[in-house]
Amino acid sequence: MAIIEREIEVMAPMVATPTSTYGVLKRPVAATGWRAWVFTVDHKKLGLMYGVTAMFFFIVGGVEALLIRLQLAAPNGKVLNADLYNQMFTMHATTMVFLFVMPMAAGFANYFIPLQIGARDVAFPRMNALGFWMFLFGGIFINLSWFIGGAADGGWFMYAPNSGPVFSPTHGIDFWAFGLQITGIASLTGAINLIVTVLNMRAPGMTLMKMPIFTWMMTVVQFLLLFAVPVITVALFLLSFQRNFGARFFDVAAGADPLLWQHLFWIFGHPEVYILVLPSFGIVSEVLPVFSRKPLFGYPFVVFSGAAIGFVGWGVWAHHMFASGLGPVSVAVFSLTTMAIAVPTGVKIINWILTMWGGKLVFSTAMKFSIGLIVLFTVGGLSGVTHSVAPSDTQQTDTYYIVAHFHYVLFGGGVLGIFSGLYYWWPKMFGKMLNERLGNWNFWLMVIGMNLTFGPMHILGLQGQPRRMYQFTEARSGEGLFNFAFWNLVASIGSFVLTIGILLFLINVVITARNPTKSPLDPWNSRSLEWMTSNPPKEHNFDVIPTVHHLDEFFHRKYEEDPATHTMRQIATAEEIMAEQERNADAHIHMPSPSYWPIVLAFGLPVITFGMIFSHLIAVFGAVIVFFAAFGWALEPSTAPASDFETNNSAPSTALDTVGKS
Amino acid sequence: MNHSAKHLYLKRLVTSVLRMVGKKSQTLFGVSLLSFIAASCATNAPQDTWQPKGPNAKLIDDLQQPVFAVAGVIGLIVAVAVIYSVLKYKDRGQPIPEQTHGKPALEITLTIIPALILAVVAVFTFGAIFKLAKTDDTEMIINVTGQQWWWEYDYPVQNEFGITQPIISSGQLVMPVGTKVLLRETSRDVIHSYWIPALNGKRDAVPGRIQTLRLEADKPGIFAGQCTEFCGLSHANMRMEAVALSKADFAKWVANQQAAYVAPEKDSLAQQGEAVFLNQCVRCHQVNGLMRADGTPAIAAPDENVWAGAAPNLTHLMSRNTFAGASFDLLSKQCRDEVWNASSDTIGAKYLAGVSQDCLNQKDLRSWLRNAPEMKPMYANPTQLEATGGKYRGMPYLALSEDDISKLVAYLLTLK
Repeated sequence: MAIIEREIEVMAPMVATPTSTYGVLKRPVAATGWRAWVFTVDHKKLGLMYGVTAMFFFIVGGVEALLIRLQLAAPNGKVLNADLYNQMFTMHATTMVFLFVMPMAAGFANYFIPLQIGARDVAFPRMNALGFWMFLFGGIFINLSWFIGGAADGGWFMYAPNSGPVFSPTHGIDFWAFGLQITGIASLTGAINLIVTVLNMRAPGMTLMKMPIFTWMMTVVQFLLLFAVPVITVALFLLSFQRNFGARFFDVAAGADPLLWQHLFWIFGHPEVYILVLPSFGIVSEVLPVFSRKPLFGYPFVVFSGAAIGFVGWGVWAHHMFASGLGPVSVAVFSLTTMAIAVPTGVKIINWILTMWGGKLVFSTAMKFSIGLIVLFTVGGLSGVTHSVAPSDTQQTDTYYIVAHFHYVLFGGGVLGIFSGLYYWWPKMFGKMLNERLGNWNFWLMVIGMNLTFGPMHILGLQGQPRRMYQFTEARSGEGLFNFAFWNLVASIGSFVLTIGILLFLINVVITARNPTKSPLDPWNSRSLEWMTSNPPKEHNFDVIPTVHHLDEFFHRKYEEDPATHTMRQIATAEEIMAEQERNADAHIHMPSPSYWPIVLAFGLPVITFGMIFSHLIAVFGAVIVFFAAFGWALEPSTAPASDFETNNSAPSTALDTVGKS
Repeated sequence: MNHSAKHLYLKRLVTSVLRMVGKKSQTLFGVSLLSFIAASCATNAPQDTWQPKGPNAKLIDDLQQPVFAVAGVIGLIVAVAVIYSVLKYKDRGQPIPEQTHGKPALEITLTIIPALILAVVAVFTFGAIFKLAKTDDTEMIINVTGQQWWWEYDYPVQNEFGITQPIISSGQLVMPVGTKVLLRETSRDVIHSYWIPALNGKRDAVPGRIQTLRLEADKPGIFAGQCTEFCGLSHANMRMEAVALSKADFAKWVANQQAAYVAPEKDSLAQQGEAVFLNQCVRCHQVNGLMRADGTPAIAAPDENVWAGAAPNLTHLMSRNTFAGASFDLLSKQCRDEVWNASSDTIGAKYLAGVSQDCLNQKDLRSWLRNAPEMKPMYANPTQLEATGGKYRGMPYLALSEDDISKLVAYLLTLK
């Protein structure tokens, strides 16, 4: 266990870690105030920071979506001009994919993977902080383009050669490519960190097949990131060199084939889809058993289908390119693989339903979101199967039918799962429960709003309205009441219903924050280890690292099966289990110390990329920041000396207790 | 379950669904449900993908309809299973159930069934993919080139159709019915995609590549299409139409396209328009047979002014119904409807009549000549062409006087 550094009596002489700071800064030790957040390496604080930042970008992306729907509410819309509309849909997708869903999942993973596997932090806490700051600065960097000449306007898929300097003369795409490069490094460091954490730091007794399903799905996601991000990194480098240094990778006149970009983009882009939905699949697979009072049906099937999706997900990318002229053999192969990936996805849906089957269902808001996900994701999955029929896809691709499809997948699947997780884990993260009545309204308005918004897009697409058009005209809208104008208006109204639903969530957060009522220790009668500690958890997570005997360890500490009747009877309460842990608390728990360097290093990167676009001198300055930050990082002692802390470590568990509650 | 028990059970089911939805959201739920039940679709949507008008599109439709049906049934089964378990297994104080971890036999069965359904779909899909990729039964070839933001059609010499010299046209693809036409697509700038939903699926036009798409229409008619690969600023305004004519009408169209240039009458407004054209438009737009005042042929040089290197050939402009990438009608509303709504027997004659003075959509054509970039977003601001070395992407503002515009319109009307 890398991170739980126990006090050792005799210092081994061969330790390579420097023990002094060589005149650089000491490690920060503040446990309260803004310093406690900015220099933190605590996985829980970083998880929350990921979540809050992702929510902010969700609102940004949402406003972009509303502007798009306002523009398309009627034929010949005049809210946005063509140029601004193209920027808007490019940035809406970029923001939602890279700056909302991915970091939100990263936030959940950061917060809950160590808790679910009974660890005290992640394997590389400073790298974890670096990841967050790179994501934040990368996200800000991409959005800076709005204020410096216009945002990227090539679509989030950024097909060459339309993304080249001739066809997109503003700096929008430069900001986009460099910004995504930075958030890409964040994803990579996060992936490596969490993979090492999951493989090395599980509590004793927790074999891989006793690991909570959310952690399993997130592990699959980290492997997908580990292999997918390098591909987009290469593609983005080619694009940046083409735009900023006169390279000609996608220049047809120089003999390039622009389909190279499409292959690179979608070899990243399709695994990316699973990167976006598997976290939510993990959340749902946690929530459904808790509120069905039953274990996940077919746990090994869900695990292996998740892993199977992770593998087969690499062999389906060209189904985004059925119209691009791949030739019939390639099209047939990718048709088949796309159908194949529907099978493990279907397995998940079947297992979720069978988890509820025969259960004792409690309809909390979290549960409602999860059940909503099963139905709505299924709609998106089935429309996905219609795309796997390649000839049929050549009619549907680049129409609103596709827009409908992937919003049912990413909103019906991804976002509903995220909201389920927020309601479920809110008491764990903040010690208070979100208001369930408001949650009910939140749920229904979101579900109704999303169906009103994206449902009609199926009809629009099948009747021939293409995507990415800043206006649609009456001439191509058909006749009768239910023409394009009607369905577009319905979609636009739906988007505002959806917005109200999401606003209710934000209102709920405020109301909950002001409500002094604390959550019970185990409000949902949960099953996994993250609930076997206080709400919110102490900085060191667990007073004693639990030894795991079962999948759903916490549930099995609370309940026992009656061998005669096979019914479950309670043998302990959460409070009793908690008290037991406190009695046996580890004597010496040493947590990693905060650090100045992650934020400094992360700040250097956008300075470099800003310089790449405008002046190489600025880039040199950024490189100097990065170099010195790395230098300071390397020379930093791995933990602050005990003398740096105001309270010494004579009674660590109580001292850290106060830290955790701050 | 006897009849009355069943009835009671259903009643309870419905009421609990309604209770679950909640009183106030009931109305909302009802309204959205009703609107879905009432949901018919737009009638006569020109780009409807479910109304094939030729064998290639029919092949796709025959394949996709059963897939949609099966997908719908599976979706319904899932929804019913979810609703059933929600109602049936709601917590009514029952004991915590046995902690079973699944039934492998059931799991495997439920995995194999969808796999088998998909295997059947795959067999039919494969057949369709290879049929749609066939090129050896082609009867006629038309080269199609995309550029920002219009399509050019180039008919190579094909004597069996009376095409004895290459025909270059734009906006509307004219083709004979019942003929297996093979489009050979490419692009001069970015990737575009050719799509006439009534006749076939899409095929991207990729610069540096030539890709093929089969088209065949059963009956005469005009079929709408739209560029479907995002191609920059005016992607929304890059449209096209396929016009299918009977073989006899197609022969007439070919003959007209190959007809020699007829200079406007002496001292007419149109003749003054020709002079304006020679002064301004011919820099980019070719009119075959047009002579300069000194008797030399006027050859357009769009490659010097336009990034993609081409501009629409206007030789027989008034034989088309639309202009500027099929974004605007050349025909007035009434005349347009007469052509578009004509029966398949009469549409050929009406289309071949072209655009007469009475039918011309003066308003749009004049605005276009007055300030094209205002009507259709393009990269045509001379001060912002650094990236292209001063070349336009689209048609610039020409600062024509109203007089010149009237003269030009009169001249363009002679380009039958």
